[in-house]
Amino acid sequence: MHERLLSSIGSKIALNETAMNKLKQFFIPKKIRKRQYILNAGDVCQYITFVEKGMLRSFTVDDEGHEHVVQFAVEGSWISDMASFLSGKEALYNIEALEDSEVLNLGTQAMDDLMHQVPGMERYFRLLMQNNIIALQRRVVAYMSLSAEEKYLKLMEVAPDIMNRASQQHIASYLSITPETLSRIRKQVSNKK
Amino acid sequence: MATINTIAIIGATGNMGSAIAKSLSKPGSYRLLLMSNDTDELAQLYSQLKEPNTGTEIYSISCAREASWEADIIIVATQNDAEKEVAEKIREVATGKIVISISNPLNSAYRQLITSSDTSAAEELQKLLPNSKVVKTFNTTFAADFISSVIDEKTADVFIAGNNGDAVKTVSEVVKSAGFNPIIAGDLSVSRTLERMQLLRIRYTMNNSYNWLAGWKILHN
Repeated sequence: MHERLLSSIGSKIALNETAMNKLKQFFIPKKIRKRQYILNAGDVCQYITFVEKGMLRSFTVDDEGHEHVVQFAVEGSWISDMASFLSGKEALYNIEALEDSEVLNLGTQAMDDLMHQVPGMERYFRLLMQNNIIALQRRVVAYMSLSAEEKYLKLMEVAPDIMNRASQQHIASYLSITPETLSRIRKQVSNKK
Repeated sequence: MATINTIAIIGATGNMGSAIAKSLSKPGSYRLLLMSNDTDELAQLYSQLKEPNTGTEIYSISCAREASWEADIIIVATQNDAEKEVAEKIREVATGKIVISISNPLNSAYRQLITSSDTSAAEELQKLLPNSKVVKTFNTTFAADFISSVIDEKTADVFIAGNNGDAVKTVSEVVKSAGFNPIIAGDLSVSRTLERMQLLRIRYTMNNSYNWLAGWKILHN
């Protein structure tokens, strides 16, 4: 139930048995069914969510009703509306399970307590935030300066798993291209091979 | 639109469990996970609730751990003497979640409580589930009250006791949704009083051969 979490934390900080048992107490284990939402835009995001099993996506909906996928989260990764979680203000994102999933939720108070009570957790979250900023910066740059094909190849390179598991529509939305463009790029790329 | 809380009812086919399930199955209120060891009765309850409430997400699950894992709020509606066994099964997956204790630790003749005066069924459950937020409620309510929460033209009061303020607030909403008037009675140790209140009422009802449609109401002006 906590295997992925413990290995994620264990890869960044040293964890002894006591610390492992202690830190489990701060996380709320939840099973979610495919298509179930764990956050609706307009609510306050109360948790940062670690994915033990399955896949989720965060997305926004624009005024015309079009969805824009912000992030996919598979096993071993975190997902939330960070701005809402940290500020207590309304979330912009919806978060939906794309597969039957098992997650671990960490609330604001629990996160604070965890950092105080388990040595090294402050460092873990600092590294997590750093990685978050790096990922965000890459995404912004990709969005501004890469061609559709370059964005596609980049995603293939860093997250081939997501390419296989997510729907074409969601991948196209994530890359800010139309499903038709995505399909064309796919053909081009496979012809080049 | 807020995400809908998921409530697991452990022991959903029992007298109280099924009454609670029916009262919470209105569309839009909650996702319901009905759990019982009796698979035949569970299937029956499921179709009984699902048909008139097609807008409500209702699932039947035969494993207490699975149901509690998927839930935000867990209602333990088993017999009091089965609570220990349930607690063992759900302990890990109930971490950080609200667990509602509805039971009254009555002896087999319904004449006395089996707990000593310095504790309660709710506090004992909290000891078994140290990482959960145990809240006492619905123990002063008879199963019949869930069908008709208005008695003698008054909405019956339902008392709530718990140590976590947010959990108590969330449970108040559940109580309201079931059709009752929630009254926050205090911390979890107040369960000692609440469980004895129900003993008083059961004895009173039995001694006078009254029917079971009866509730508590605090009157004040």
